[in-house]
Order: sequence, then C-alpha cells, then structure tokens
Amino acid sequence: MAGHVIEVKDLVKRYGDLKAVDGTNFHVDKGEVFSILGPNGAGKTTTVEIMECLRKPTSGTINVLGFDVAKEAREIRKKVGILPQEFNTYDLLTVRENIDYFGAMFDRRIPTQELLDAVNLNEKEDVFYKNLSGGLKQRVGVAIAMVNDPEIIFLDEPTTGLDPKARREVWDIIRDLKKRGKTVILTTHYMEEAEILSDRLAIMNDGKFIAYDTPRAIIKEHGYGTLCVIKSGSRAVADMLKAQGLNCELKENDVHCWMQNKADLQIIFRQLESSGAYYDEVLVKRSSLEDVFLRLTGRHLVEEV
Amino acid sequence: MKIDRILVDLKVTGKMFIRNKGAVFWTFAFPVLLILIFGAIFSGMNDATYTLYVQDNDPGLYSDKFIAGLEESGVLEIEMVDSDANVTKYIKDNSVTSFLVIPANFTANVSNGTQVAYVELLQDQTQQSSSVVSSVVNAVVNNFNNVLSGSVEHISVDSGAIVENNLSYIDLFLPGIIGLTAMTNCVFYMQGVQSRYYSTGIFRKLSTTPFTRFEWLLSRALWQIALVFMSVISIIVVGMLFFDVHLTITIEAILMIIAGCLVFTGLGMIISRFSKDEESANAAASVITFPMMFLSGSFFALESMPSYLQTIAKVMPLTYMNEGLRDTMIYGNAESALFNLGVLAILAVVFMAIGTYISKWTED
Repeated sequence: MAGHVIEVKDLVKRYGDLKAVDGTNFHVDKGEVFSILGPNGAGKTTTVEIMECLRKPTSGTINVLGFDVAKEAREIRKKVGILPQEFNTYDLLTVRENIDYFGAMFDRRIPTQELLDAVNLNEKEDVFYKNLSGGLKQRVGVAIAMVNDPEIIFLDEPTTGLDPKARREVWDIIRDLKKRGKTVILTTHYMEEAEILSDRLAIMNDGKFIAYDTPRAIIKEHGYGTLCVIKSGSRAVADMLKAQGLNCELKENDVHCWMQNKADLQIIFRQLESSGAYYDEVLVKRSSLEDVFLRLTGRHLVEEV
Repeated sequence: MKIDRILVDLKVTGKMFIRNKGAVFWTFAFPVLLILIFGAIFSGMNDATYTLYVQDNDPGLYSDKFIAGLEESGVLEIEMVDSDANVTKYIKDNSVTSFLVIPANFTANVSNGTQVAYVELLQDQTQQSSSVVSSVVNAVVNNFNNVLSGSVEHISVDSGAIVENNLSYIDLFLPGIIGLTAMTNCVFYMQGVQSRYYSTGIFRKLSTTPFTRFEWLLSRALWQIALVFMSVISIIVVGMLFFDVHLTITIEAILMIIAGCLVFTGLGMIISRFSKDEESANAAASVITFPMMFLSGSFFALESMPSYLQTIAKVMPLTYMNEGLRDTMIYGNAESALFNLGVLAILAVVFMAIGTYISKWTED
C-alpha cells in the first residue's frame, strides 16, 4: 500500500519452545512516529530487531522500504538508522570521533557538525564517550543513528534508565526527527512517552499486539472514559449519586464515578453542594494507556520513574 | 570488502590504544621485562661462581697447593674455615651447601705415596650447584694425581661454538620471547576485545552498519601484527643495548611473525566465541596459553623435556613459531625455517577461517 514504509505480515519468532513474537501484523506509514509499548519480555525488541535485520524471523513476511529483510538486509542497512537497546560505543573516542567513525562506514552521510547541532552536543564534541552522562550518551546514539541520513530511524528504549530531564531532552530530539520527515519506530515501556510522542502505537504483551491504533483511539476503545474521584467521600455520597443514575461506587475512602458525558460532572457538583456532604477534593482523570494495559491484561505495565 | 572502512577502524584502534596508557605500558613492558629477567639470568651463566667452604687441618705444603688448584679453576670461590671449628655445626649455622675437609695427614700421605690422601667433600645433594662443585673438585684431584704420577696427557678437549657469530644463551632465547609475545598479545587481545564488544553492545551497533565482520577482523588482525612488530623492535633494542644480542632479521622471520599473529588472533576469536563472558574467555585463554608458554620451547629447549612432553609440544602452534624463528634468526637453517613457516601459514589460514566463520556480533 502506498505510504507504508514497513509492512509486517504474520511475524513469528520462536526461541525453542518460547514464542517471543506470535503472529503480529502491522504497517508503519512514512513520516510517522510508531511506537511499540509493552512490558519487559513482551517481544518489542525482538520485533524491531527483526525489522532492523539483526535477528531472523521464524516465519512471516517483513518488508522495509520495499526490501525483504530475509534477502536484502544489506540494502536495508544503508537506508535505516538504528539506536539499539543499551547502546554503547567506543569509550576512548570523543563524541565527534565516534560520529566520524560510524559516518565513515556509510557511503552516504550527514556532516558530523550537522549531527552535533541536531542533538545539541556541540559543547561536548571533544569529551570522551565514557565521561558522558546517560542522557548525553543516548544523544550520541541518536546522532550516530542519523549519520547515514536514514529514511527510518529505530529507537529501541531510548529513554530507559534516564532521569526525567534527560528523557524529555530525548523526546525533543524525537519530535525534531519527525519534523525532518523521518519515520521513527520507537519501543518503550513508558506509557506517557508513547502517548505523547506517537502518531500510532501498538501495545504488546506476551508476543502479541493487544491494541493497535492511534493513542486516542486505543484509549477510547479500551479505556474507561473519564473518572471523577471524590476524595474522602462516604457511602452516603456514593448512594446519593447512584440515585441520580450515575455509575459510582466506594473504593476504600474515595467515591469513584465513571462519567458518560460532561453533564455527569455538573450533576456531581450540584448534588455535593445541595447535600452539604463532606469531601476533601474532587479529581477528574482521563483514561491512560496504563489503564488500558491494566484493563486488557489485568496487570500494571511498569513502575514509572 | 572496502579498504576505506578497514583503514578507518585501524586508525581508530591505534588511537584508542595510545589513549589506554595501561595497555601501552604492559604491551611493551611485558616482553621487555621478560628479556631483562632472562637476559640477567643467562648473561651471568658463563661467569657463574660457586662457593666452597674449606677447612684446612693440614699444616703442610700440599694442602695449600690443592687449595690453590681449586681457586685456579675460576669456578669456585673458596671460603676458609678455622681448623678448630665444628664442621657439622658450621654447616648448619651458615647454610653451607658444599664443604671440603682437608685432614691433618694430607701432606704426609701425599708425600710418602704409600697411602691414599683423602679429602672429604660434604654436599647438599638437593642443590643443582652440588654436581658442578663436585666435578671441579674431582678435576683438581685428577690433575693433582697426574702431576704427582708424572703421567702424560693423551686426550684433551678443544672447545668450539656450534652456532655462528659467537652467540650467547640470551640470543637463543630471544626468538622464544618474540613467539611468546606474539601469542600473548594476539590471543588475549582478540578474546578480550571480542568478548567485551559483544557484552557491551558495540558489536550490535556495528552490525547495523555496512561494516562487515570480515573487514573488522582483518583490521584488528592487522593491528595486532603492527603491535607485535613494535613489541619485537622493543625486545631487540633492549636486548642489544643491555645484553649485546646477535640476531639476524630475515624475511622468513618477518613472515613467521605475521603468520604467528594470524594463528593466535584466530585462536583468540575461537576462544571468545565459546566463552560466556569476558572473564571466562580470559580464563580459557590462560588455560590454553600457559601450557604453550612452558612446553613450546620459549623458556626451555625442547630437547631437555621428557619425550611425551615433546610429543605434546608438536601439536602446539607456538612450537613451530619458536623453532622457525630460531632456525632463521640464529642457525640460518633456511630449509627448516621454511618448513615451520609452512606449518604456521596453514594453521593461520585454518584458525582465521574458523574464527571468522564462527564469530558473531548478535544473537540469532
């Protein structure tokens, strides 16, 4: 189909008896940020490493930029950029030397200075890689992934282990890549990251895609809608709101009401005001990907940093 | 294959090596320390002396002549012990290994010629020097007997060197140190760097580029050859400056070093492929190189080893490198050198092919 830079059909990857990827089907459009979200061991990295030609599929058809990964890995490598999981490079080379080194491996390359500008590493260009912080190392990795001016950039868990500030800096770079017209394939186990950055995403669990669409559409389809939490509300409050036709229940010390539309919120405030019932505060929460994951699998995705 | 990529990797490898001061120091210090240690040991072998404690209880003339004969041997250093000293106690208190007692009747017995004049040689037989001291004392006794009996010398030994250029022991051992350096450098470098790059993910990153495994392996093998040649130069320079070594650098020797480097680089690749991590690869490399270090003739001549160990040595690549280097650098035996070079060349092709074929950058 026109516009698809990656097409994956019936992808299966087995390690002995373990099915790491279990019949996934998806495509990636040109210029989009496509994320694969899931817990450790879900099969995300195996899936992207097959697209990157680093692993061989057990079965299935994988087409990247019109090339078959099983037969045309050499052509694919020239046109894609890859930041592998737990990226590492030469400790005793400077940032600039590392980028130069990897640039020299390709026929087509972007000037090192342009890459240093792109990932904002000008001030660190003469620092040995070993002396960089985790966030700066990832930025070097992204610069190296861009060195051959690729059409598709794979970023495999680029923010794992980074502090919140460094994570946000990597997010800015990913947004910039999208602005440059690059297609970005991102794997992550941070639902916030996937939700903020992705045009479309797939949620993966036990080797299978359990949801696959835009973040908004996934949340709409699999989320609980909008939740109103009345902190320190009582059973009397819950019963009062139920009597108004709302879907409410007492959970621990709070009253949880799942709202169908905005009018439900007006009813809640009106009832609270007229009854004079005691409560601490009212919170309104939209469903998140974490809630979707919890709902679909019965377990949490990951503890957030 | 792209030469440009190999040259870029070679340049970067050299740059990283220079920046790793510990690696630079040990790469050159190890062979230089070996040559200094062996040089010090072997250069002193020709003029070694052994101490002989002598208690002269004889007031006569012949005991003095006998002692003078021992001193003239040039091998023994004579330490005189008082005649009233208790021999057993003296030996114990002074950790003496060779003690000669000349009895009070020595001159009298020699003079009247009717009775044998005994001297008593007490020795710690566990000491290697005991046989040397015993031989010297016996030689002086024989000489004394010949002079006293007025016999004519019928047989004499005219000593001459087998090798050319007036070579010393250190010259013979230097090729062994070159072989040893090539082995340790190449095996430990290759297993170390392969295991490290695999575990740290550098291979994973390299595998995302058009740079191939063969290009990378070729670059690192070339680097090891260059590094070993630098070590060899430092070994020869130190040998010449401190121990006056005499070596002939031949084209066969150069080819032998290149072939040896490829053999041991291939061996390093194979070791790292079958090891779980860097630590186990390092241990495996030690297990394989240590026997070769001692059984391939680097430190000891193969002829001095039991026959079964000599058979084991025949299956060790380092044996052919050591033998070949000695053939061409010391003995000038081109035919034997070419045989050893041929064996090394075949092993180099086999080891590099296996190493390249089985090495991997990513999981399946």
